[in-house]
Amino acid sequence: MERREVIKNIALMLGGTFSAPTLMAMNHWEQSTRPVSGVSAFSLTENQQKIVAEIAEAIIPRTGTAGEASPGAKDVGVPAFIEMMLKDCYAQPEHLSFMEGLTSIEQAKFLEMNASERLGVLKYLEQETKAEMKARQVKQTKMGDNDDHEDIKKVSKGLPFWRLIKELTLLGYFTSEGGIKASFEYVQIPGKLENIKLKPGQKSYAY
Amino acid sequence: MNLNIRADKNNTFDAIVVGSGMTGGFAAKELTEKGLKVLMIERGREIKHPQDYDTAMKEPWDFQHRGRVTAHSAEELWANKRFGNLANEETGGLFTNDKNNPYVEKRPFDWIRAYHTGGKSMHWGRQSYRFNKQDFEANAKEGIGIDWPIRYEDLEPWYTHVEKFVGVSGQKEGLDVLPDGHFLPAMPLFTPELHFKKVMFEKFNRPVTVGRVANLSQPQEWHTKLGRASCQYRNKCARGCPYGAYYSSLSGSIPAANLTKRLSILHDTIVSEIIYDGQKQRATGVRVINQNTMQTEEYFAKIIFLNAGAMNSAALLLNSKSSRFANGLGNDSDQVGRNIMDHHLGVGATATVEGFLDDYVYGQRPNALYIPRFRNWGNDKQSYLRGFGYQGGASREGWNRGVNADGFGADFKQDLTKPGQWTIGFGGFGEVLSNPENRMYLDNSKKDKWGVPMIVFDAAFGENEITMRKDIMNSAMEMMDAAGFKNITGYNRPEVHLGLGIHEMGTARMGRDPKTSVLNAFNQVHDCKNVFVTDGAAMTSSSCVNPSITYMALTARAADYAVKALKKREL
Repeated sequence: MERREVIKNIALMLGGTFSAPTLMAMNHWEQSTRPVSGVSAFSLTENQQKIVAEIAEAIIPRTGTAGEASPGAKDVGVPAFIEMMLKDCYAQPEHLSFMEGLTSIEQAKFLEMNASERLGVLKYLEQETKAEMKARQVKQTKMGDNDDHEDIKKVSKGLPFWRLIKELTLLGYFTSEGGIKASFEYVQIPGKLENIKLKPGQKSYAY
Repeated sequence: MNLNIRADKNNTFDAIVVGSGMTGGFAAKELTEKGLKVLMIERGREIKHPQDYDTAMKEPWDFQHRGRVTAHSAEELWANKRFGNLANEETGGLFTNDKNNPYVEKRPFDWIRAYHTGGKSMHWGRQSYRFNKQDFEANAKEGIGIDWPIRYEDLEPWYTHVEKFVGVSGQKEGLDVLPDGHFLPAMPLFTPELHFKKVMFEKFNRPVTVGRVANLSQPQEWHTKLGRASCQYRNKCARGCPYGAYYSSLSGSIPAANLTKRLSILHDTIVSEIIYDGQKQRATGVRVINQNTMQTEEYFAKIIFLNAGAMNSAALLLNSKSSRFANGLGNDSDQVGRNIMDHHLGVGATATVEGFLDDYVYGQRPNALYIPRFRNWGNDKQSYLRGFGYQGGASREGWNRGVNADGFGADFKQDLTKPGQWTIGFGGFGEVLSNPENRMYLDNSKKDKWGVPMIVFDAAFGENEITMRKDIMNSAMEMMDAAGFKNITGYNRPEVHLGLGIHEMGTARMGRDPKTSVLNAFNQVHDCKNVFVTDGAAMTSSSCVNPSITYMALTARAADYAVKALKKREL
C-alpha cells in the first residue's frame, strides 16, 4: 500500500462517523447521570496489544549504542502499563475513544505496514489530535498550596486515542526505574535547595 | 449494649481534648505541659511517627498507578477527588473514605477529611501567616458579621509562642499587611521569581516574598529534642515526613505532650455527645463510640477542648442536647453551624518565561512564592470587600511537557531528558465573608453507621467572592504581563465550592454578645464555660491567609487561660 493511500484510508476511518455500537454506548453514557462505576470491562486482544506496543515504542524507542543503550518503551513494560492504567484509572468515555482509535488503526492493518507508512499514520494522528485538543482548552492550573493540575474542558467524548497513548507512554516510561535512571540524574534525597547554573548538556534532575 | 460506667478513676481526667489534629495536638501539648492530666480522643486509626508513613521512602516506580487516582479510589474518596490527585497511592492513606463517612449536600460542599492521628496536620500546606491588625477589625468597620472579641495584640505573643515551637521558615519583610513572625532561615526564590519580585516592586509597589512554611530549614534545640530534623527538600511532605521536618501533631505537639507523661490517647473513638449536668451548669464529660466494636463509654473531666475540626466540633455541639440546651450545647444564639467560611481558590494564571535558560535548581522546594494582599489595602479601593494573596512559583518544565508537545521518536525522547523552559503560575487565596445563611446542620433522619446524625451542608460563595475571583484572575494576568512573561493563561475553575480550600471555619464563632456568638474571647462556650472550642469553628472572620497558625495561637491562648482559671477555681 502507498503511504499516501494508507493515510487517506486512516483519515477516512478516523474522520468518519462512529460505528453504531459506539454511538449506542455513548448515548447510554450521556443519558446516565451518575459517573461510570468502578473498574469497567476494558481489555485488548493480542493483536491490539501488539499495536499498542509498537506505537509506544515509536513514541519512546530504544536508542543509543550497544554499550550505552537507553531502553525503549517496550523494555520497561510500558505496553502492559498502558492497558492497566486505562482499565484502572479511566472510565467508559476514554475506554470508548481509545478503542475507537485503536480499532481504526487495526482495520488499516498497522502491523503490516513498513516503517515509513507507520510514521505517516502516527504523524497524521498527531495532527488530528492537536485540532481536537485545541477545542478542549487544555490549561495548566494550580490548586491549594502545592498542587499542579491540568484542566481540560469536559466534553462527553473521551480523550482521543493518540493523546491517551502518548500521555500514558511518557508517564509509564519516565516514571519507570529503567526510564528514570537512563534519562535523568536521579536524586533520592537532595538534602539541600540551591539555585544553580546548568552545565552544557546537563540532564534534568528526577526525585 | 450500653455500658454506662460511672465516673471511676480510670475514666476521669483533668481535661479531655477531642481530636488530635492541628489544634487538638496543640491543646494536648499546652495542657499537659501546664500540669494537667489529659485524655485525647481521636475518632480515626492510630498512625505512629515515622514508621507508619508507608509511602514516605518509596521510589516513583513503586507506585503501580504512578500518582494517578484509580477509578475505585475516586469513587471511595469522592469528595477528596474534587481537590485533585490526593486519593492516589502516595497520599491516599492519609485521607478519609468519603463513602464510609457520608454527608449530605443541600448545596455542594467539598469536605476533605483526615480521620487518623494528626488529622489534617499530616498533609496541610504548611503555609503559616499571621492575621494582621485589620483582619481583626474589618468586620466591625464594614458591618459584616460580628466583631472579633480580641485584637491582634491579644494574639501576638501566642503567634510567637506557636511559631517558635512549630518552626516556620520565612523572610521578615516589615509589612503591616503580613506581620513578621519568629522565623527560621528563608528558602530561596528562584531566578525568574527574583526578576518578578523586582518588577512587581518597581511597577506596582507590591511586595513578593518566599512562602512562610512550617518546614525546618534550621532545626533549633527544642526541635531536635523531639526528634525533628532538617528539611531534605524532597517535597514529598504529603506522604508523611520521616525526618519530622515539617510540623504535624505527630512530629511536634504529641511527642511534646508525651514527654510530660500526662497524655493518654484513645484511637478509633468517636465522641458522639458532650454530657451536660444541668444542676452543676457545666459539662462533665463525653459519651463515645468505638468505631470498630460499636461499644459505648463515658469519660469525665473538669474541662473539655473541642478540636475535632470546624465542622465536626460544631456537629458535636449540635448533637449534645439537654433540657438546658435543647438545640445543642451552647446554641442559644442559633449560630452553631452557621457562618461557614473558607478560602476560595482555583483561580489565577500561568505563563511561560523567556530566558534564564542557564538557571536551574537543585532540590525540590516544599514551598511557594507569596504575594501578600494588595487589594482594599492602603489607597487601593475595589468594588468588593477584603482581598486575597497569591501562592505559586516558577519551575522548569519536565518530561511531561511532551504530552502536549508535537513529536515522538528518538530526538523527542532525548529532548525530554533536559529541563524545558521556565514556566510560572500562581493562584489566589481569597477571603470569604461571614454569612449566617452559609451553614451546616444535622439531619436526625439520616444516621451514619454509628447512629450519629449526618451533617447537611447548605452553603455557597456570595457575590463578594464571585466578584473578587474575576479580579484574582485578571490581576495575576496583568502582573505576569508586566513582568514580560508570555503565553499568559488565566483560569477561574467554575467547580470550586466552599470547603475546597480545606480551610473550613466559622461554625462556632467568637464574639462579645452571647446572643450573636457561641464563644467568648477565650474560646469558652458562653453558657458552659468549661467547654472550649479552639479549632477553625471559633473564627469570626477568615482573612485571606492560611489559618492554621492562627488556630494554634488561639488554642495556646485558651489553654493558658483555662489552666489559670482552674488554679483559681474559677472553672
